[in-house]
Amino acid sequence: MSAQPSFEGPAPVVTTVPAEDQRLAAYHARVDEVLAWRASRVDLNDIPGTMDMASIAILLTLGRDIDACNERVLQMMAEPGTGPFWMFPAVCVAFTGRDLLSPEARASIREAWRTTRQLRGDTENHWVMYYASLYLMSELYPNEPAETWYTGRSSEENLAEAREWLIHWMDTTTTVGQGEFNTTHYIGEYAIPMLFMASWAKDPVMKQRGRMILDWMFAELATVTLNGVLRGPNARSDEGSVIERWNALASYFSWLLFGNTPSPAGYGGWGLYFAPVAKNYVLPEVIHRIAVERDGDYVQRDRARTRRYWRYSDELSPPVYKTNYLRRDYAVGSTQGIVNDVIQAHVWDVTWREEDPRGKHPTMFSLHPHSSGRMMQAQFSTYPEPMPVSVPFEGKPSYNSPDKILGASPYEKVFQDLDTVIALYDIAPGEHFPHINGFFSKDLVNVTEDKSGWIFAQGGQAYLAYRPLAPYHWIPYLHFASGWAKERQDLGGRVLTSPHLKNGTIVQAASVAEFESFAAFQAAINALPLEFTLEPVPAVKFTTLRGKQVAFTYGETPVVAGVPVDYAQWKLFEGPYLNAEVGGRKLTITHGRLQRVLDFNTLTIKDRVIE
Amino acid sequence: MKNFRRLLPMLGLLTAVATATPAYDFYICANINRNYVIGSKIVTTNGIFQRTDAGAWRHFGYNDTSISALAFDPRDRNVIYTATLNGLWRSLDGGKNWRISNGWDMTEGRDVAVDPNAPDHVYLALPDGIAVSTDRAETLVRRENGLPERGKFTQAIKVDRTRAGRVFAGCEVGIFLTEDGAQNWRQVFATKETVNDLQQSPHDPQLWVAATQSAGALISRDGGLKWVRLAGVPTERALYNITFDVTNPARLAIGSWAHGVLTTEDGGATWTSRNAGLPENPRVWRVGVDPEGRLYASVFQETLFHSDDFGRTWQPNDLVGSLVNYFVTLPKAAN
Amino acid sequence: MKKFLALLLLATVAVAQPSYEAPMPGPPPDTRPDTLRRAYLERVNETLDWYLEAIDPAKPLTREQALVKLVRREDADLASQRILELLAEPQSGDMFWMFPWTAIAFAGRDQLSPEARAAIRDAWRTYFPMRGDTENHWVMYYSSLFLMTELYPGEPGETWFNGKSSAENHAEARDFLLHWMDIATTIGQGEFNATHYIGEYAIPMLYLATWSEDPAMRQRGRMLLDLLMAELADNTLHGVLRGPNARTDDNSVIQRWHALATYFSWTMYGHIPPPPHYGGWGIYFAIAAAHYDPPPLFYRIATDREYDREQHDHKRSRRRWRYSDVEMMPVYKTGYIRRDYAVGSYQGGLSDPIQAHVWDVTWAVPDPRGVHNTIFSTHPLSSSRVLQMYFTEYPDWMIDLLASQGKPSYGVPDKILSCSPYEQVFQDLDTIIALYDIPPGIVHQRINGFFSKDLLDVTEAKSGWIFARGGNTYLAYRPLAPYAWEDLLGYRQLPRTGGSGYVWERFRPEGEVDRILVSPHPQNGTIVQAASADEFASFAAFQAAINALPLAFTLQPTPAVKFTTLRGKQVEFTYGAAPVLDGKPVGYTSWKLFEGPHLNAELGARKITISHGRQHRVLDFNTVTTTDYVTP
Repeated sequence: MSAQPSFEGPAPVVTTVPAEDQRLAAYHARVDEVLAWRASRVDLNDIPGTMDMASIAILLTLGRDIDACNERVLQMMAEPGTGPFWMFPAVCVAFTGRDLLSPEARASIREAWRTTRQLRGDTENHWVMYYASLYLMSELYPNEPAETWYTGRSSEENLAEAREWLIHWMDTTTTVGQGEFNTTHYIGEYAIPMLFMASWAKDPVMKQRGRMILDWMFAELATVTLNGVLRGPNARSDEGSVIERWNALASYFSWLLFGNTPSPAGYGGWGLYFAPVAKNYVLPEVIHRIAVERDGDYVQRDRARTRRYWRYSDELSPPVYKTNYLRRDYAVGSTQGIVNDVIQAHVWDVTWREEDPRGKHPTMFSLHPHSSGRMMQAQFSTYPEPMPVSVPFEGKPSYNSPDKILGASPYEKVFQDLDTVIALYDIAPGEHFPHINGFFSKDLVNVTEDKSGWIFAQGGQAYLAYRPLAPYHWIPYLHFASGWAKERQDLGGRVLTSPHLKNGTIVQAASVAEFESFAAFQAAINALPLEFTLEPVPAVKFTTLRGKQVAFTYGETPVVAGVPVDYAQWKLFEGPYLNAEVGGRKLTITHGRLQRVLDFNTLTIKDRVIE
Repeated sequence: MKNFRRLLPMLGLLTAVATATPAYDFYICANINRNYVIGSKIVTTNGIFQRTDAGAWRHFGYNDTSISALAFDPRDRNVIYTATLNGLWRSLDGGKNWRISNGWDMTEGRDVAVDPNAPDHVYLALPDGIAVSTDRAETLVRRENGLPERGKFTQAIKVDRTRAGRVFAGCEVGIFLTEDGAQNWRQVFATKETVNDLQQSPHDPQLWVAATQSAGALISRDGGLKWVRLAGVPTERALYNITFDVTNPARLAIGSWAHGVLTTEDGGATWTSRNAGLPENPRVWRVGVDPEGRLYASVFQETLFHSDDFGRTWQPNDLVGSLVNYFVTLPKAAN
Repeated sequence: MKKFLALLLLATVAVAQPSYEAPMPGPPPDTRPDTLRRAYLERVNETLDWYLEAIDPAKPLTREQALVKLVRREDADLASQRILELLAEPQSGDMFWMFPWTAIAFAGRDQLSPEARAAIRDAWRTYFPMRGDTENHWVMYYSSLFLMTELYPGEPGETWFNGKSSAENHAEARDFLLHWMDIATTIGQGEFNATHYIGEYAIPMLYLATWSEDPAMRQRGRMLLDLLMAELADNTLHGVLRGPNARTDDNSVIQRWHALATYFSWTMYGHIPPPPHYGGWGIYFAIAAAHYDPPPLFYRIATDREYDREQHDHKRSRRRWRYSDVEMMPVYKTGYIRRDYAVGSYQGGLSDPIQAHVWDVTWAVPDPRGVHNTIFSTHPLSSSRVLQMYFTEYPDWMIDLLASQGKPSYGVPDKILSCSPYEQVFQDLDTIIALYDIPPGIVHQRINGFFSKDLLDVTEAKSGWIFARGGNTYLAYRPLAPYAWEDLLGYRQLPRTGGSGYVWERFRPEGEVDRILVSPHPQNGTIVQAASADEFASFAAFQAAINALPLAFTLQPTPAVKFTTLRGKQVEFTYGAAPVLDGKPVGYTSWKLFEGPHLNAELGARKITISHGRQHRVLDFNTVTTTDYVTP
């Protein structure tokens, strides 16, 4: 296998690159690294075995081996795939090859869009990929009749439908937020189609919209990453990324755009489709600086929404309230505790900085391992029984495992203030898994079960205090190496299992630099006033390390220093870097003197430097 | 099961010439791609199959893993409608070419029905309501007046063959009826969870049955106005579908993931589990009966089984690894 | 004009220039953003490659070749060595020295040897570049000084040629650059629409946008570059800069394609061949051009000629030190561009004393290389007093000095490059009226009308109109006084006889020669009316239409014209009085900084809106804000 310098090399040093030319040169060098790596894996003596659509697009971008590209396109188009994950790679090849591929190869791509029915899928990312692809192909082949498209609709009909939905989606995202927010992997399935729109759309409106959404997503990525590592709540993640937080497609974008973390192996797989087009996008400096040059600790409070509830809910997409607190040594993030995605959600964690995050599990959290056919039915048009048993074989292996560490539960309520998290659980009798799981990483040191009931530990330069509210025992953490893994591996780490329906977790984090010693930290935590009860429902009164008096009862509004938290007042984004009103369609991105405003009401990008 | 009104005149003939070439066409919608997830490659042939005179299954139309229901125009067998993940597809040429009828505002079609008394009218069940076409699915509009804002997940939609525009919908919170072509709906039976199937008896158009997720099986003897629970059918687990036997008014069958196959041969008074010969604890996805009285059971990702003694014994049919979503029987098309 | 020294050096490089030598470029396969971006970078790389391919292993690298090596990150050791050699020689070039060495300093800052970097730094102590006396000189000087003092901050006065510390130099440079941007965006540039000097603004602005550490200066540089490139796009006819120029030269004023401005048209938009040697200075733009992204909106302004457009702009003259009531005369510029031709002018008078071009009609040709596709008239003024208005010089030797400084035509009677205080011009759409009232004693007592070798069917009609065809354009030229024809001779440089100045001789070009219409009458005038050949059934029909237009004029006591234009407008224009159009005097004082379909700005507003169709970019220098929006 060819070397992947940025995956195998030392972790990059996180620095601001103020010079435009050096920043751009470094970005292009990273893009070129991806292109060179994938191109080097092509063996012209084994075209079917070594050339996929990503490599075709990359060779076309490099202007290399065009004959092989033609040959492989003809082979692949003889058996087209179905669905959005085939569509956008096909679009990538169609556009990178539109003036390089042979007429026969181009015709074969076009013909596949007649002969093969494409599934639109059932998730937000599926539809973004589907409609961006259909939009671009219909624009590339305008004025063609209905019978030449699998939809049975003309180019203009396809274009109009795709345009309408894409604008509807952007409108939703910029008013009440994304459903698939801060996803560890799916970010690529938004960024890639939007880059395609920004690079290839003929219509200046859609080009501008693509560009603006790309900025929007990358600004959010910059704001919620710790040294390039996406942490905190995720609408969707997986068994690997939820603990090895760096090992995610999101890190590919951090690496490529910000240069502040190593690239994941294979450049994240799908990342290969961003690279051929990446030089058509220049990351705004203001976003670069947010990612690499933090002005100090900050709190960012954002709104998002859940996946669509088809049934068994009073609301179609209930609001998600996200809190993120980022410091140099660690970050704390959470939602209020809601099933935003029934299978892959991650609700809260404390994640600490590792100089080299590769192979590290720098995170701590607890959850109720919820598994429910009825909840599946709420978000899928399915029957109660099939999904819980089939999902583990469809890339989500732990869904039905009692010791799983991925997922949201309707029986978990969370409150965060700065670096304090309180998670309360009131699990209904008869629920599939009547316990909660707390994740304790192999990379924690000095884990100490104190007689006070607190469990103390150190992760990187962060001190952590974890307080289970009910008796527990330890089981080994067994890891699914991939979505399709049959076996489980013992990578180290433990799961704190507490088999009590009424339950809770308190976590308090601090910087090592704030205390003279680990013992001093423990003493400080033990001195914090704490009262709690689990009956009739879990309730906690706690004075945090930061001196905030928090009262939180399961099912009730949290109260901080005597004032109830008013989630209804939360904005779409509110913090030092990102600000937007709910319903505003307008995001202001700020760092120091730099400001970029993305206004979807007027399709305006405004770049300002305050002198 | 669809369009029995057109089938009934020939049923007597069937018994008389039982050995003759069956005078009907039999279709299924099957997904044969185990654990298909969006993005994975489809390696099998899925979608609409017609049973040949030799008993084999002949695929036609697109290879689509997501077809949940199928309907034909009673006037023209070449006009076909399928409810799929993308919505509603229509073919005017017997499945050679298809057009998607809905835009982005409709998705995940659950069921489709054509009004035999107004064959240009097509009804589509959706996870967030009901859409209707009055022009053979050239255009679709939502018609949900009377359905609740939340709770209108619609799994089943069936047209009363006795009167144009009289349609039942199986929804999240009960059974709804329209008598004016979906201009207005009203609830005729309330449930806490989804009504999964509705069927009109081929023998008595006043007789309707329903399979539900948590209210057991229901029956109505007054054309669907009053519904009562069928005693003897368990309620604690979901029933996926229910079917009549066109050859015997006393026979019905229910398919259930939890209970397997349940049958009655006394018009619903007593029910018997008929799982012997099926895989252990069979996860039955659908049951169907063809006009010869052969009972079919689609067992989740196993295969399609059939029984010529109404479930007492079973033989594996074809289509290994399949999920059959729909059975359709029609009078044999003129060649 | 030290820059032409560099051009002459480059002229010795004999390597193929693909785009210069190729047939006229066709349109790109499509105009999607990635296609435009890729084609732009290919053109940039063609320029860089040309310098690399010209490297002769037997010869030392030129300064430009060493720079391109650094940009390509090749042979840094060789470049370092060559830079040490180049800097060991005596330095010259002033601000034309400063910006190339600024480029080398930045391109090499992370790859040159410590010795080479130290040598560059030390050169800014030991070599004393003059600041010059023109707008472009100062922009180059201060941009370079700004960037170099950012690269070497916190260094004391004795380490810089001018004895000021890094901080002092940086502050002074910043003050001037902001002051200049302020003037350019409130009352307009002095050196507007220059055929060559555009590079001497575009290159420093690109450098600021690319290399400044100050985000505000980066943004300002990018915004000014946007303004320059948008204005170029708006003023070109199929890539050729035509119409009035604050400054041009004897060649570019008639072979309108042959200008550094064309290099920028080619690089940005690719719809015209570049000039030879990529315009000479073009390489200094190319080395950082990848850091600029020409907005597709500008491409559309440059290439969309499907509709006629009229643009009225406000500019200013060069600064006048004396003999003038105003420091800078306002310049009112009119441009009218159609598919087949363009007409442009300012109101006449002195903008730049030596190199100004006031008005012309320029027609489109399939391939502009070698074609003199323009017609105009001028008063060949030669005046020491006028020169003294602009230069702090004594009167007696300046005219001779100009020839030795590269402006050979200044004093000659048959020159065609000139503006004059005795010329007043009015334009409405594709009609031009130029009136002249030359006082006794003024050198020279004549006007010159330029008639290109490329005109066809030149017909002197009894009516007094001279008709001709240029490309797909019909032209009618009406001299208001008797005239004679002369062939236009060229200027050939002779070997130097000592000193650094140029020596020239006149010569008769081979083949077809241009002619000048010479009218030796101090009260005089020219009317030109243009039309597209498609508008008429025949050339004869055009002539008949022109002959039928009501025209009355007198030359005494001052020239005055009443004319109904081909477009049906009634124009009354008397020398010294405001023109009257359809009974209304033209109110120049109400003109905006930019007003037209593509560029709009209020006078004094520091805010320019650039538009094409639904796409818009707003450059707001008040808030240092760039705003892109698309109207749905």
